Amino acid sequence: MLAATELSDSRRLNPRRFALLVLVLAWAGSGVIRSTIDRQADAATQNPIVYVTSGETLRRLSLGYEGLLADIYWTRVVQYFGRERLAGNSTFDFLGPLLRVATTLDPHLLIAYRFGAVFLAEKPPAGAGRPEEALALIRRGIVANPSYWRLWQDLGFIYYWDLKDYPHAALAFQAGSRQPGADLWMKTLAASVAAQGGELETSRLLWTQVYREGGNDSIRRSAAEHLAAIAATMEIEQLERALALFQQRAGRRAAFFDELYRAGLLTRKPVDPTGVPYVLGTDGKAALGPDSKIDLSLAR
Amino acid sequence: MSRVAAIAVHTFKECVREKVLYNLVVFALLLTGAGILFGSISVGVNEILLVNLGLSAISVFGLMIAIFIGISLVWKEIERRTIYNVLSKPVARVEFILGKYLGLVLTLVVNTAIMTAGFYLALYWEKRRLGAEDLAPLEAIYFILLQLALVVGVALLFSTVSTPMLSAVFTFSLYVIGNLLSDLRGFGDQSGSALVRILLHGLSVVLPDFGTFSAISQTAHGQLIPGFRLFANSLYALLYTTVLVSAAILVFEEREFR
Repeated sequence: MLAATELSDSRRLNPRRFALLVLVLAWAGSGVIRSTIDRQADAATQNPIVYVTSGETLRRLSLGYEGLLADIYWTRVVQYFGRERLAGNSTFDFLGPLLRVATTLDPHLLIAYRFGAVFLAEKPPAGAGRPEEALALIRRGIVANPSYWRLWQDLGFIYYWDLKDYPHAALAFQAGSRQPGADLWMKTLAASVAAQGGELETSRLLWTQVYREGGNDSIRRSAAEHLAAIAATMEIEQLERALALFQQRAGRRAAFFDELYRAGLLTRKPVDPTGVPYVLGTDGKAALGPDSKIDLSLAR
Repeated sequence: MSRVAAIAVHTFKECVREKVLYNLVVFALLLTGAGILFGSISVGVNEILLVNLGLSAISVFGLMIAIFIGISLVWKEIERRTIYNVLSKPVARVEFILGKYLGLVLTLVVNTAIMTAGFYLALYWEKRRLGAEDLAPLEAIYFILLQLALVVGVALLFSTVSTPMLSAVFTFSLYVIGNLLSDLRGFGDQSGSALVRILLHGLSVVLPDFGTFSAISQTAHGQLIPGFRLFANSLYALLYTTVLVSAAILVFEEREFR
């Protein structure tokens, strides 16, 4: 009799075990549902909806923790930019509002002005292609951090590179060079841009500074690509001059670069900055090799 | 004075017994986890974020302790009827209130000191060195302590007149309003009505200004707080805390226990 009762008890579900079972099942179920929702979510719902577009309102709501909120918004900017870029979307509609909120919450968050301006100004698909918005962002940064000379450098860079407005670029570099602690090359840059804005040599000077100071790998890689394109463009121009000289002397077009070398017009076999040999087209013009990864449009 | 100290020490021990300092584990996990997470998903803000997050956590944990322990400081003694034992001894009511207040402030100081050590450990881990420029967050932490001392005063005052639930609501509401006083003044200035302007300006003077102790973001950028602000805020906190504790003593002195 006793044994039968014990058997019956053991078959009956213990309430604690039952609760544990329900907990595990419900938890697993909620996880499955959550993953399904994520998979079903379309691109639109992936966008970071900016519920509160006013940084001032958010600052009030933050109850003194605005610095932390600004960092979170800046992280959202980085995440949003990276995701859109990977997805091949080049509209970046939320970039401006997110940056405005981040910099209103923390007007001294210099990284948000500097990198944010790069994200905004870069031509699509690499960036949003909105240099005017980038200028506005940098100008706000200068108002909030008047003695920080690197914001002037960024302002000049956008004028120079994205807007091709060389007089304003020179003025920005000049203003930056007058700020406390500004590097000496800012003066050189200001003079160089004022004298020969748009020249490849000036562009090389600019991108070399960006490469040296590149705050992260992405910016340094972009600067390296621009520098390679500038160097290749300059080398192609040199090759063109050598080809023209050869034609002048020999009375015919060169068929191979070797002929230029034998004629003493080249000192080595011409290869681009990535090591791929230049080619001589049927039209007699020098060009990048078919395997070259260099994008010459980045040079200007 | 020794009786005040005895009550303060007892209050501190009681807080420790109630496992208040367990929040330190959460704090450590939060700092470590956030440091690793944000380092991998953000750009260029590792150090700033660590300071902002560390100091915000110190402030939030301190605020929670100040409110939730503060509101039951007196109420619990009344509810458990232990107040009769205490007051039947040669302990004045003023000593009881002062001891309770100082005990909770001592708990917060110890809690904040341990969290500060943890924060600097995390900062060292991030930077691999610590320099003179890293002293700036200490000023913000000092302001956090001043702010917490005020919050304890508010919670203690409500604790003498109301239930813990209502005291929590009142204290938190006052904390929120106290963070928006500069905006309140701004609204007053924008208002067309002279009466509204005077009223809002008056309120901003009378209510405790918690926003004046906000310096986390500033120190995250390595900016030092001007000496005058340090002095003025210290004086303000001292005076306003005196007001709050005095009010709590006045209410408690008038209170009858049956």
